[in-house]
Amino acid sequence: MMRRVCSFLRRQAGGALAGALALALILLPVSGKAENLVVDLSDDTINIESNFTGANIVVFGEIVRDAATVGRPEPYDLAVIVSGPQTRVTTRRKGRFAGIWVNRDAETFLEVPSFLVTHTSRSANEIAPRPVLEQHRIGLFNLNLPITGDSGVPMSDRDNFRRAFLRLRVDSGLYAERSGVIEFLSDTLFRTTVPLPANVPVGNYTVTTYLLRGGALLASNEQSLVVAKTGFEQLTYRLAYNYAALYGLLAIALAVFTGWLAGVIFRRD
Amino acid sequence: MQIYLPIAELPVNMFMLFGMGGAVGFLSGLFGIGGGFLLTPLLIFSGIPPAVSVATVTTQVVASSASGVVAYWRRKMIDFKLAVMLLVGGVIGSAIGVWLFDVLRSLGQLDLVISLSYVTFLSTIGGLMLVESLRSMARRRSGALMPARKPGQHNWVHGLPFKMRFRQSRLYVSVIPIVVLGAIIGFLGAVLGIGGGFMMVPALIYLLRVPTNIVIGTSLLQILVTMAAATFLHSVSTHSVDIVLAFTLMVGGVIGAQFGARMGQKLRGDQLRLLLALLVLAVGMRFAVNLLIEPEELYSISVVEEVA
Repeated sequence: MMRRVCSFLRRQAGGALAGALALALILLPVSGKAENLVVDLSDDTINIESNFTGANIVVFGEIVRDAATVGRPEPYDLAVIVSGPQTRVTTRRKGRFAGIWVNRDAETFLEVPSFLVTHTSRSANEIAPRPVLEQHRIGLFNLNLPITGDSGVPMSDRDNFRRAFLRLRVDSGLYAERSGVIEFLSDTLFRTTVPLPANVPVGNYTVTTYLLRGGALLASNEQSLVVAKTGFEQLTYRLAYNYAALYGLLAIALAVFTGWLAGVIFRRD
Repeated sequence: MQIYLPIAELPVNMFMLFGMGGAVGFLSGLFGIGGGFLLTPLLIFSGIPPAVSVATVTTQVVASSASGVVAYWRRKMIDFKLAVMLLVGGVIGSAIGVWLFDVLRSLGQLDLVISLSYVTFLSTIGGLMLVESLRSMARRRSGALMPARKPGQHNWVHGLPFKMRFRQSRLYVSVIPIVVLGAIIGFLGAVLGIGGGFMMVPALIYLLRVPTNIVIGTSLLQILVTMAAATFLHSVSTHSVDIVLAFTLMVGGVIGAQFGARMGQKLRGDQLRLLLALLVLAVGMRFAVNLLIEPEELYSISVVEEVA
């Protein structure tokens, strides 16, 4: 939480309002908070094997109330955010050049999650006002996409790249935003199932759960999730990156052997 | 059945890969070519990242040429000295190609260069082959005899310095065109993932006047070694050789090639060349269409690196 707040602060570069907000956040847990969140995942490791075609991860938990809890008419709102390792990506746009379509303009986003799924109990804009959503990155369009200082894309065009980036990620199944998919089993028990597609990137993930009511954040919880290749897939990948020369020689040997074997098996003379 | 590719990092249908490997293998057996120029675009069009497609096809070409080399070796139809000279150029060419491949990938122009090269080379070679095969068909129909190779026949290539004698091919030519030819093929192999057999064979026959029976074995050996070098260099510098993908393609490919080779014996040479020319032209046109028509999706994303 602290790290998140700090990095948020850095990005805002000393905005007085942000500072006040962050301060409020830091103080929140000690200022007589009434609700707490207990969250767990069905698995803390997703293993990618040769027959991997995707997986489901169940996020479940309980809203813990204590004596200080004030009964209020508004319902509890939950947001579960599954976020993959941060990457630097370049979004390119094709343009016509000398009669053919080539990549022309490009925008590089410095730190964006390689995977991002947001599940909310109801649509994000009903849960909280925009500043709160942006601060906690609830909802795809509230995601901060930092760009380089020397970006050559004019201001008026930046939104196009932003939107295209989000659209492509959604199309490839790596980003998703679903509302109304958090199931309440009782007043305080909840559960949601997050599907991880077959092309899910490997790495360290965080699963962040936010509890809100009446547009205000009550509690949050962060769990870690690891998506890793195992067995043969992991071995192959490690070999290819850490022992590249050996991997190359193995590939050649395999190819020559297969070719030779075929030549022998199908020998006609 | 879905199979997860560890380097491409996506699952694909294994039977689709077998099928593609088999179909391309059939054509490669039919025409006596490596088939890389068909397989790479097929992989790209079916959603495998271009970098992985190109690098992996170099490995698949090693397998398909290896089985051919074994057969020609047994019949002693390989000119080793000529192959070595071609290889000197080939290794230099593939090193430059792999380096350029890496640079282009970081600039985001790899796909463009692959497409442009395919259009240029395939339409040129396809066009030349088409004209040649139609002419030879017309000649055969009119009953004229093919001009036989005369010992004293020379072209501009034979005027170059650094001459060397190649006994098995009964040649005495300069090494410059040989090394350059090897380098061009090696370069194209690394950048485009093609063995270059369909360019090497006509170049050796028409430019250097190597006897036809020696050409195929020698060209296959050169392709085998050049593509092995390209596989190695791609493994080391771009890490994009997917061994699972390569193996699946190989198995389909070598089986398909056997059926293709049997079919090929039933067709006449000029008919085969005409069909191959049309095939080469069609692939080239497919790439040209992609470049000329406005794409449905203008944007694309590429991951630069992981942020710690």
